This record gives sequence, C-alpha cells and structure tokens, in this order.
Amino acid sequence: MTDPIDRDLFRRIQDRVAIVGIGHLPFAKDIGRPISDTAVEAIQLALDDAGLVAEDVDGMCMLEMESTHEVSIARRLGVRGLAWWSKISYGGGASCATVMHAAAAIASGLATTVVCHRARNRGAAASRPWSQEKVLVKDDKALHTPWGLIRPVDVIGMWAHRHMHEFGTKREHFGNVAIAARRHANRNPNAMMRDRPLDMKTYLAGRVIGYPLTLYDCCLETDGALACVVTSVERARDLRQKPALVHAVAQASGPNPVHLANYNNTPAMETTSVFCAQTLWRRSELQPKDMDCAQIYDAFTPLVITGLEDYGFCKRGEGGPFTEGGRIELGGALPVLTSGGGLSEAYVHGFNLILEAARQIRGKSTNQVPGCKATLVTGASGVATSALVLRGA
Amino acid sequence: MMADLHPDYPLPDVDDPVMRPFWEGARAGKLMLQRERGTGAVHWPPKPMYWKGGGRLEWFEASGRGTVYSWVIGHEPFLPAFRHLLPLVMVLVEVEEGPRLVGYMVGTKPERMAFGMRVRVVFQRLTDRVTLPVWEPA
Repeated sequence: MTDPIDRDLFRRIQDRVAIVGIGHLPFAKDIGRPISDTAVEAIQLALDDAGLVAEDVDGMCMLEMESTHEVSIARRLGVRGLAWWSKISYGGGASCATVMHAAAAIASGLATTVVCHRARNRGAAASRPWSQEKVLVKDDKALHTPWGLIRPVDVIGMWAHRHMHEFGTKREHFGNVAIAARRHANRNPNAMMRDRPLDMKTYLAGRVIGYPLTLYDCCLETDGALACVVTSVERARDLRQKPALVHAVAQASGPNPVHLANYNNTPAMETTSVFCAQTLWRRSELQPKDMDCAQIYDAFTPLVITGLEDYGFCKRGEGGPFTEGGRIELGGALPVLTSGGGLSEAYVHGFNLILEAARQIRGKSTNQVPGCKATLVTGASGVATSALVLRGA
Repeated sequence: MMADLHPDYPLPDVDDPVMRPFWEGARAGKLMLQRERGTGAVHWPPKPMYWKGGGRLEWFEASGRGTVYSWVIGHEPFLPAFRHLLPLVMVLVEVEEGPRLVGYMVGTKPERMAFGMRVRVVFQRLTDRVTLPVWEPA
C-alpha cells in the first residue's frame, strides 16, 4: 500500500468483476480438430456453465500465440458484435493477463461480458516451436539459440541448477512438486495423468532430458481448449454459478527483460515473477498468508519452487524445504496445483490453473480445499508474466 | 565445422543493427561488449547507439575471461543441428566485466564442470559470416 494513487485506481476493478463461467474440451494428445473449432466449443461450454448466451458477449481476449481471429470465433459463436478485444503475448506469461485485461475493460465500461480462452494443439512433437528453428535467428532469440539453448527445459534448467548450487535445493524437492501435482491429478478425472501414479523412486529414476532436469520435471504436451467468462459482479448475481471475484491482478516484465534467456537481473533469481508479485500484493488486501491454495505455473517443477519464493510464501532459497512433509499437497498448509497443473492435468500455458482456481472458489474441485476463500494463480516465471488472486463473494 | 553445418542450424542475424559489432568482433576473434562512456556500466544485451539521445555508449574488447554461473547438459531429443555436439554443455558465463552470457563449452566433459570454474572465450567459425564465441576451461 505504498502507492495511494495506484490503490485508488485499482479499487475500480478490485472485487467488481468475476469469473462466472468456465469450460474446456477433454484434454488429449491429439484432439483431431483445429483450434479455430475447439476454441469456439470451449467458449460455448463456458457460456453454458455461466447461464449466458453468445449474444451477451461483447469482448474477447486470447493469447497472441493463437493463430485464429477473434471475428471468426465470434461469428461461429453467434456473437452480435465485438466492442473490445485484445491478444496477450508471452505464452505461459499471458494466461492470467487475459482475465486482467478483461477485468479492466469491464470495470472501465469498454465491455460488459468478455470471454477469455486458450486453444492449443501441441501434443504432437513436430508442433513444438523449439523443434522448428530456421536459419537467421533475430532479436532476443539470437542471444541464446545459436548456442543450442532453445528447449524450454534448458532455459529453466539454468536457473534450477543455480538454485540447487546456491541454496542446496535437491532433486527430491523438485520431486515433491511432481508428486504433489500427480497425486492431485490422480483424483481429477479430467487429468491426462489420472491413472498414472508417481512415487519418489520413479521420479528419481526419470530419464535425463536436460541435466539437471529429467522427464518428470517437465510438463505434459497437450491439445486443449479452455475458456472462462468474465463479467461485472452486478451481472454475476443473476447467473448460475458462484462467482470467483477478481481481487487483484498484475502483469510485469521486470527490468532489462530478455524473452526466455532472461539471465541478467541482479540477483539472477529475481526474475519476472518477483516484480509481478510486488505489484500483485500491493494491490491486494489479501496477502500470501490468506491464500487457501495456489496454482503456481509449472511448465517445469523448479518454477513452482521459485514461484513459492517469488510470491512470498517463503524466503528466497527456502522453496525446496517448503515442499517437504506434504505441505503442498491437499491437506497440507498450502496445496499447490490442485488439478494436477501443467505437470499432470494438461499443459495449456496455465489456462487450466485459472479454471481450477475458479472451481476452488466455487467449492467444486475434485481436490477441494475445505472452505477455500482465496487462491493465487500465476503465470510463467522468466518471461514477461501475469498473476491474479481470486476470492469468494 | 563449416562443412558439417546442418542446414537448419539457428544462425544469428549478424546484420542486426544493434548486435552487429558483437558479431563482427567475434569474426575477428574478439569478444565485444558495450559500455557507457560516462560510468563504464556494461550493458547486456546491448542497446542501440542512439540510446537516450546518442553518444553515451561505446563498444570495447572484453577480457574474454569469466566464471561458470550455471550450466545444463542437453540430451536427446535435441535439435538435429546440434546432435553432433551432444551431450551439449550449455553454459551461463559471468564475464569479468559483469554480464552473464549464454554459450556452450568446448574442450571439456560434463563431469568436469563446476560452479565458479574459470573459463576463457574461444571462437568457433560456423560460416563465412558467423563466428560464435564459445568457452573452454581457463
């Protein structure tokens, strides 16, 4: 609360806008349909869930990585006309920001009901951007890809390895994250890994992908289409579901940002999430101690450990020990990734984390935290990112 | 190396107006960095020379020495262009002048790597126009 101007302005948004509908298609390795089709159905499911129809929608927000056009999706849905739309860049850093931009649009009167979505077909190995590098790498990519640092697992591995060295973080700590996510997924019938248990012995025997990270440190690659509906709390009162109020939102690039190989902060571990967290908690009446669970972006297990530190659940360097003793599993002090997350439910740039957060506020998760009143959702650390706090009414 | 270069090798755009002095330096066997004339502060990644009105920045030849800040070892599945280098030791070198540069190691083995290990720059010619600064144990 150091900046009264910022706080006063943010009051126009805080708890005034809510996620009122969520929907997604079954996650799959190969969904067999283009995202121009799956996105439309996911949005329709989210509208059905809310008790709204396409004619109620006048805004749309999606990830810049989508190859689709808003107008095509709106036409297929039956939207009368869009009054506001926006695309957010930086993949895993972007998902929470779709809700942030929607909330800002609604709070300022630019739109009344906004659908946010992510549709992504990435189950097939050949679809991954890092496998499609072509000659003449430009701009930020030229700072790392000519040396082979291209796979996200290696980009994150640089931080993870340094964290192990500097703070004594162990592979077992990464394993605790993978196992917590998997146990939650085992109780989530929508999760890709619902039938695949994981124990520490199996985790530690995982195939090395990019030392020090192994197979079980890496998220899934999934085809998915997910959406949520955002509108004002006034409209939310008449709708079908218990609203998940958007309590605080933030986006941050951090200083001297480089896309992906973002290694020149001082100290190096202070990457984008640190700055996003500062803004988020400054805008929020609820603080880390008030979070009943957390959906921390998990493209790779070390991101959850640094995320716990970045968002203030523990001090820098204590993220590893924080995962011990079941603390991040259901029944622990801070259950994390209660749907299974990107590691074990589906990897869809973290959009599933938003849906799970809304379920927790509704009291409808398959890993329900009893009496969950508030939860944090975060985007990818390292890239320009975003985060949000949802709460019950 | 040149004859073996994979057609899909991710070669950098050495004509990028901001990065050109770095790549031209590498081709001449020099590790070039950029600093502020007034303060000596080193900028990485480099900034355009018109930064804040121009005249504030200069390129200089760095010592080419540094220490290993972190590293990762790439195994399959990897980009075909790098398969002949696997297991590839990708490294984050904290150079004496301050910045952390991404590179890869030559002349060592994964099991010899250590945090804080001293390294020095060497140059790997990929094409007539592209030479990569890479690192070996000092």
